[in-house]
Amino acid sequence: MHGRARYRERMRLRGVGRRYGRRGPWVLRDIDLEVPAGALLRVEGGNGSGKSTLLRLLAGLDAPTAGRITGRPRTAYVPERFPAALPFTALGYLTDIGRVHGLSRSAAAHGARVWLERFGAGEHARTPLSELSKGTSQKVAVAQGLLAAPGLLVLDEAWTGLDRASRIVLDGAVAERVAAGSTVVFVDHDPRRLAGKPDAVHRVESARLAAVGQPVADSGPRVRIEVEGPPGARLPEALPGEPDVAPAAPIGLRLTVAAAHSDALLRALLAARPAWHIRTVTPAHPVRPHANDRGEPGR
Amino acid sequence: MTALLRYQAALLLRSHRWLPPLLLYGAFMAVGVQSGQPVLDSFGYASAALLPVAAWLVRVCVTNEPAAARDCAAAAAGPWRVHLAAVLTALAASTVLAVAATAVVAGIGDPRSADHQVDVPLWPATAEGLIAAVACALLGTGVGALCNRPLLRSTAWAVPSTVLAAFLVLLVGVSPANAAVTGLVSGSRDGTVDVSVLPLAGAAVLTAGAVAVACALSSRRR
Repeated sequence: MHGRARYRERMRLRGVGRRYGRRGPWVLRDIDLEVPAGALLRVEGGNGSGKSTLLRLLAGLDAPTAGRITGRPRTAYVPERFPAALPFTALGYLTDIGRVHGLSRSAAAHGARVWLERFGAGEHARTPLSELSKGTSQKVAVAQGLLAAPGLLVLDEAWTGLDRASRIVLDGAVAERVAAGSTVVFVDHDPRRLAGKPDAVHRVESARLAAVGQPVADSGPRVRIEVEGPPGARLPEALPGEPDVAPAAPIGLRLTVAAAHSDALLRALLAARPAWHIRTVTPAHPVRPHANDRGEPGR
Repeated sequence: MTALLRYQAALLLRSHRWLPPLLLYGAFMAVGVQSGQPVLDSFGYASAALLPVAAWLVRVCVTNEPAAARDCAAAAAGPWRVHLAAVLTALAASTVLAVAATAVVAGIGDPRSADHQVDVPLWPATAEGLIAAVACALLGTGVGALCNRPLLRSTAWAVPSTVLAAFLVLLVGVSPANAAVTGLVSGSRDGTVDVSVLPLAGAAVLTAGAVAVACALSSRRR
């Protein structure tokens, strides 16, 4: 059941607010946010602005005081500091967490080894967590978030404490998750982190959320994909990039999507059960031909 | 849930934080239960002593993880499931203590009334003792669930509240723990055994309610 969380109800926050205690000030208020599959979202804001609270709400760690959050896929969360005073080895802990995510023991252990290797911490697999350096502990925290390929990955300054090489590995891992159709939401103090990659940037200010700048991916060139499904099959829900859909001649459908999402969309179509046949992939006209088909052409 | 329970159980076993409550219970038993004492009295004592120990085990289990590690598991499974798994792990540990203590008392106690005049049937007496012990384990778990995070987060409140609540639950007449222990002690006076699951059912209902409250609040209070 693990793996890609592609075809799902879209995650939404509606009128979400959060405060601590019955009389406490609102840390966040009236947050409406769509969290599409296959999107990379950056959250900005000053210290104590409520960024972390927003990430905790997204990850399901905190329940909203007001409003509703629906459609959250299987989620992983990576904290900024992971002072893991746990009586496990790195491999043992990661295997256990993988199983909590629903992986089998062997899949969890395999994923744990793969990710420790990728972050250059393979030789620490058998080291007790309490003996790991701060940086290696953080690698375990990041591996914990990645090994079960979650549908939503929430990174609260996960890069902090990692060495340079591991930061690059994490950048790559984030891109892989997004390409596989997962949503990744992150906060990082470095404004250049994954620069140009996020589909949207949101800023938390005075307890409200505001979109910052133009989403890069959706304003770029678009690609037209003609597909044929098995007889009677319906297009899978929540496809990456939210393609515009129109009938194609003589049969099949024509999907138009931002080029940045086209790889993920093709992968999703091919991996659908039953699989869809890709007939052609061509660059779309600069003007979107079917921008209003879904009433909401990107943002 | 199975994976979470396995994780919490491994966490409890390897942390060795079960050792202090176990030693406390061992000390209670060494002081209060001796070979040749009337068996029903000893069952009552063993059950009553288990209640605060079960509450302590809940404290051990729900505070066993650093917050960051708890968040990682909670994102994967949901905060309430993580909390429930911790509480159930504690309950499993106290149930093991309940069974072990019942076996010890049945083995070394004298199956006669308090004045050693009337014979007491050992198996029914053991059944009554086990029911009382498990009822106390359950209520101790409920006390622990209500007196620790997420409801009481500071140690300064949690520990005194746990002690106070444990005594109240043992002493207040309407409590199933009090009913079970009183049943054993008064049964010992006349040499009668009354196997009733009523205290166990009452304890189960109250504890389920307490644990449900704690789990429901686990994502609302840090």
